[in-house]
Amino acid sequence: MIVHAASGDTWGISGPTFLRFYLVANAVVVAVAVYHRVRLLTGANAAAGPLGAQQLAYLNGGPALAVHAALGGLRGSGAIGVGPDRRLLTTGPAPTGLTALDQAIHWAAHQRSRARDLPGEQRVRDALDQLRTDLEQRGLLLSPAQRAVVRRWTRVLAALLVLGVVRLFAGLTNGRPVGYLLLTLFGVLAAVLLLWRVPQTTRAGRGVLRDQRRAHTHLDPGSSPAYATYGAAGAAMGVALYGTASLWALDPGFAEQAEVQRQALGGWSSGSSGTSGGGGCGGGSSCGGGGGCGGGGCGG
Amino acid sequence: MTGPSGIGIGWRPEIAGFVAELPGLRFVEVVAESVPASGPLPSGLAQLRDRAVTVVPHGVRLSLGGAEPVDPARVAHLAAVAQRVDAPLVSEHIAFVRAGGLEAGHLLPLPRSREAVDAVCANVARAQAELPVPIALEPIAALVDWPDDELDEADFLTEILDRTGALLLLDVANVYANARNRGTDPLALLDRLPLDRVGYAHVAGGAEHGGYYHDTHTDPIPPAVLDLVGALCARHRPPALLLERDGDYPPAAELRAELDALATAAGLPAVT
Amino acid sequence: MTGDHRPGLAERQAELVAALVAGGTPPAGFAPGPLAAARAALLRKRAGEVARHWPLLAAGLGTAWPTTFVRWASGRPTSGSLRDGWDLARTMRERGTLPPAGAEELAVREAGLRYDGRATPRPRRLPAVARAGGAVAVQIAGRVRLLRPARRPPAPPGGVGGDLPDAAGSAPWISD
Repeated sequence: MIVHAASGDTWGISGPTFLRFYLVANAVVVAVAVYHRVRLLTGANAAAGPLGAQQLAYLNGGPALAVHAALGGLRGSGAIGVGPDRRLLTTGPAPTGLTALDQAIHWAAHQRSRARDLPGEQRVRDALDQLRTDLEQRGLLLSPAQRAVVRRWTRVLAALLVLGVVRLFAGLTNGRPVGYLLLTLFGVLAAVLLLWRVPQTTRAGRGVLRDQRRAHTHLDPGSSPAYATYGAAGAAMGVALYGTASLWALDPGFAEQAEVQRQALGGWSSGSSGTSGGGGCGGGSSCGGGGGCGGGGCGG
Repeated sequence: MTGPSGIGIGWRPEIAGFVAELPGLRFVEVVAESVPASGPLPSGLAQLRDRAVTVVPHGVRLSLGGAEPVDPARVAHLAAVAQRVDAPLVSEHIAFVRAGGLEAGHLLPLPRSREAVDAVCANVARAQAELPVPIALEPIAALVDWPDDELDEADFLTEILDRTGALLLLDVANVYANARNRGTDPLALLDRLPLDRVGYAHVAGGAEHGGYYHDTHTDPIPPAVLDLVGALCARHRPPALLLERDGDYPPAAELRAELDALATAAGLPAVT
Repeated sequence: MTGDHRPGLAERQAELVAALVAGGTPPAGFAPGPLAAARAALLRKRAGEVARHWPLLAAGLGTAWPTTFVRWASGRPTSGSLRDGWDLARTMRERGTLPPAGAEELAVREAGLRYDGRATPRPRRLPAVARAGGAVAVQIAGRVRLLRPARRPPAPPGGVGGDLPDAAGSAPWISD
């Protein structure tokens, strides 16, 4: 059915026609965008083998947290320290059994790098890229190419939104009714906002993190874990799952001197220096009272 | 439910991951004041209960040896914790922790007088009235001695146990510390205690400091204490022995070695 | 029994506790050596417990923590580890002797909890800002954020090459 353009129609297309095509176009684009998003974000069904602490750290908090987890492990095994000039240093040769990232950081520490400059070192960057590729292959992280695919369709939707807004203003200046168009635009805007952010980790990745955190609740800095008992591996895992707060709990002198940022849960942005409320015990209640002391002479 | 048996370790949140991985562990002890009366149990503890590991609540702040009547709220909390973890018994100390409105901050010894015996027995009776399970009483290690004691240690403890009907929580490290600091023979005390009333035993480490041996719970068990454990087990082996460690936790391998050494000294199966 | 008044159990116990924690006169008949040892052991134990509640403050003072705490706490009975550390931190803030990490820890705690020096600290419901040693912490709806870190002394210029002594103040104590 052809509706002849009435006089005064915006751009020569009548309102209902435009709206019809516009809605169809939006529906198609949203469907495609959602399809791609769901397909990619589910992530491959895991995992060739269990994940190490550094991979979990990368998943949880990006390359910055992976570096911190490696620092935790190296500090825990006594391989690195920090000098009075706040630059890292090595305290002996590299121990055995180090990952590529560990070795890169150990080498950088030998070159007296600063902790915050580590992600910029070439060898460290290469090791981090290796970590990233491995996680992408396991379907736990989205590669840049995959994220681009998802984002492309959201961009198309955004372009449609812009088109709709232009039509809206054109219609307003022409004095045409724009009620339904306005309603549609709200819907499109909502869709754009919902689809705009493309996360880095897939659902499988988040599931792995959740499972690992549940299996390692004893490493939560709030429980004051005995890092000496859990060893360097425990220290690295604690940082991976609970952020640099673990590093501060593990060795506050080192973290302070090396100027490690304090974050409760690792975010992908390395800039935030927020702390979660209160160190070991924030609230009083059972913390202030109960000691751990069962023996008489335990005053000594 | 039967009482604790075998080698156990004090459950602490700091080493919860280590305790969770001990394959042969059948019992732990937990500080009663650190377990909430309601709400979720500390996660490591809940997992141990799922594995049917016996959990014994150990009170440290009831002050049963105080002249004042024990606070009913504290007894209620201990009873509630015992219910929550399905404990076969609870334990506390023959000591006091507060007096004259001041908190001492740790366990202080009682004068060994008849008045003190009466006070302890009265408080234990008050507690027993509210507790759903038996209570075991632990004599403490003390650096100070009261003047004018009327009874000696063995008579004092035996009288309290007889009058209250409570079990004995025999802390071998405390016996050692007291004997060493006074130059007496620990075995002499062991021979005079009612060893058949022992519900379970404690073992812990300590260190010499300022001319005295302190039962710190933050040091490795000295060989002399392990020897004393052997001597105790030769006379009358307690059904269970618990390693108490409260801080400065060593690497896992060292803790395991200590548990094994304890099992060997006691002639009980290893839990690692 | 003769006419002499023998103090009851309650009185005797109160005297002993006061002598051990509040600087009271030692009761008659107690050997001074063990009493002093018990007093010192009590303070050391308290220092360890307070360090668990205030790890950054304790770590910031490093090896000076035990002596700093004992000097402050001698003769001052405990009100629980959280309050002990809080009172000490506030005193140090007034004197300007807070280590930087300790200042941040105090600022974060002050922003999140309300403590008047007498009663148990309680969580704050309203937004709050707290300062200590140059650190500024703000709390909104229970989430605390450190807006500005504490003043830190500038790092001395460093040399090249390894083999400098580790300045973290804590020995590498974990082996694996």
